[in-house]
Amino acid sequence: MSGRRIVITSGKGGVGKTTTTANLGAALALRGHKVVLIDTDIGLRNLDLVLGVEKRIVFDLVEVVEGRCQLRQALIRDKRFESLFLLPAAQTRDKTAVSEEQMDALVGDVAAIADFVMIDCPAGIEHGFRNAIAGAREALLVTTPEVSAIRDADRVVGKLRDRGLPIKLLINRVRPEMVRAGEMMSVDDVTEILGVEAIGIVPDDEEVIDTTNRGEPIVLDENNRLATIYGKIARRLEGQDVPLTDLDPPKFLSRLLTMWR
Amino acid sequence: MRALETTPVPEVEAEAEAAPVILGRAIVITSGKGGVGKTTTTANVGTALAALGKRVALVDADVGLRNLDIVLGLENRVKFHVLDVIEGKAELDDALVRDKRSENLYLLAAAQSREKEDVEADAMRDLIEQLRKRFDFVLIDCPAGIETGFTNAVAGAGHAIVVCTPEVSAVRDADRVVGLLPNTWQPELIVNRVRPALVRKGKMLSVDDVNAILRLPLLGVIPDEPSVIVSTNRGEPIALDQTSATGGAYRAIAAKLAGIAVETPPVPVEKPAGMFAKLGAFFGGR
Ligand SMILES: Nc1ncnc2c1ncn2[C@@H]1O[C@H](COP(=O)(O)OP(=O)(O)OP(=O)(O)O)[C@@H](O)[C@H]1O
Ligand SMILES: Nc1ncnc2c1ncn2[C@@H]1O[C@H](COP(=O)(O)OP(=O)(O)OP(=O)(O)O)[C@@H](O)[C@H]1O
Ligand SMILES: [Mg+2]
Ligand SMILES: [Mg+2]
Repeated sequence: MSGRRIVITSGKGGVGKTTTTANLGAALALRGHKVVLIDTDIGLRNLDLVLGVEKRIVFDLVEVVEGRCQLRQALIRDKRFESLFLLPAAQTRDKTAVSEEQMDALVGDVAAIADFVMIDCPAGIEHGFRNAIAGAREALLVTTPEVSAIRDADRVVGKLRDRGLPIKLLINRVRPEMVRAGEMMSVDDVTEILGVEAIGIVPDDEEVIDTTNRGEPIVLDENNRLATIYGKIARRLEGQDVPLTDLDPPKFLSRLLTMWR
Repeated sequence: MRALETTPVPEVEAEAEAAPVILGRAIVITSGKGGVGKTTTTANVGTALAALGKRVALVDADVGLRNLDIVLGLENRVKFHVLDVIEGKAELDDALVRDKRSENLYLLAAAQSREKEDVEADAMRDLIEQLRKRFDFVLIDCPAGIETGFTNAVAGAGHAIVVCTPEVSAVRDADRVVGLLPNTWQPELIVNRVRPALVRKGKMLSVDDVNAILRLPLLGVIPDEPSVIVSTNRGEPIALDQTSATGGAYRAIAAKLAGIAVETPPVPVEKPAGMFAKLGAFFGGR
């Protein structure tokens, strides 16, 4: 078996890479896939907190790479899902502790035992970024509809294309009411500027902040609209043809539909 | 409303020129975690300091992913950048972009098509020192993370402002960054994007929760306001908007830095039960 190797990246910080990795990974696991999330933000790890498994960390990614433990010893199973695992980052080391070659080999090992390997990339385009993309074969670019985030995303698109990685776009923290008021860029604007196809549009929702602080991925709450949205993105990632009709304000929706015809 | 139109003539500066070695303060704005508001803070505190008559230089240290020019609405005026100056391809005077709205405010932009590894910490230190001779405040906008870009941004500074949001991951990253700053420094804290209504409902950490972990002198608390996004998109710092609570919070921080007594805007400090226990637990482990 060789699973998909997807890096979740953005350039700009704080646009929702870790939130996306956790929730999309969980949504894929809920759909029966075996999913391993890899936190490559060495020194500033966050994915363990978002999943609420921070107290169960025994070994980390650097220790696996350095051969001080087995991969399976470092993988933490999320008890709320059948098949969701985390390979945590080291907190007290820095990003140069691992090379691009080592990362590629590690992700290859993980892909041998998983359907989906989701690699959470750090902010920026330094060593940590290069490591995170080294092991990936496809990229999920996360951005918010803001000028500065899009400029950074554009820089990253160039770097991903240089690597030959296919790119899908997830636009996060969209506020339809602000788009309608002309105060925020629309999905059309963003995809046009970046020249990348959107696979998901996630609204800004204050529940994300609360569930993140509590370490409970929002997809666990079946009644939350974001659970449905992440579920649809998971299906699109599987290759299913699910129309992007997630946000319902009329103008927004019709624009999206015309985009996909 | 443009507060800057009433900007007094900066007498401080005239004196500084007469006395040979009064150096300005170089302050790095940093966070560890990305997207918590470092660039927004740099632009707005700088704008507000300039409105108080201080001479201010803003330095974008986010080589390769520059943003500060956008937030200030100066992206079309940038001709040279930090690396051009360091590498002798441009004079400092030619690289400093004057703000549209204030003659006290200047931007030194980052290179967009270069890498952070292209900058040497020593060169950065020299550059900041040159700026300190000419400006009362040099604010350095640090990139996210703790790699080379962070090291370079901190290199020339003498003080740090740590920006954090009321979220466990931001607090953990801020804690890590404070540990990496020179241990003689006493960094000050800004808690950004606070939503008092959520704090009251127990759905957001309070400022107390955050600072129970970080234990830093509190420089200010900035409310979350959607208009910040609008002002960023328009390139007009919200510190100029006299009707905005967020703008007011930035102006209060600037006054504090300038040593002007101000009444601090009300701070949401209520602590919901239960949250803090969770937060404290993160720092016990490894
Ligand atoms: N759809 C959303 N609605 C509301 N808030 C969100 C949403 N997505 C993310 N956030 C908030 O934004 C914050 C930053 O998200 P996250 O940590 O996932 O970003 P990141 O890109 O991983 O950051 P970094 O660059 O530091 O790694 C989160 O703490 C979360 O509360
Ligand atoms: N007080 C606030 N209220 C609402 N939105 C805010 C506030 N502060 C910042 N933001 C939003 O958060 C986004 C990220 O802010 P900013 O770019 O300043 O962060 P940063 O820390 O510089 O990010 P990076 O780590 O990528 O450099 C901005 O685009 C802005 O719209
Ligand atoms: Mg992250
Ligand atoms: Mg920034």
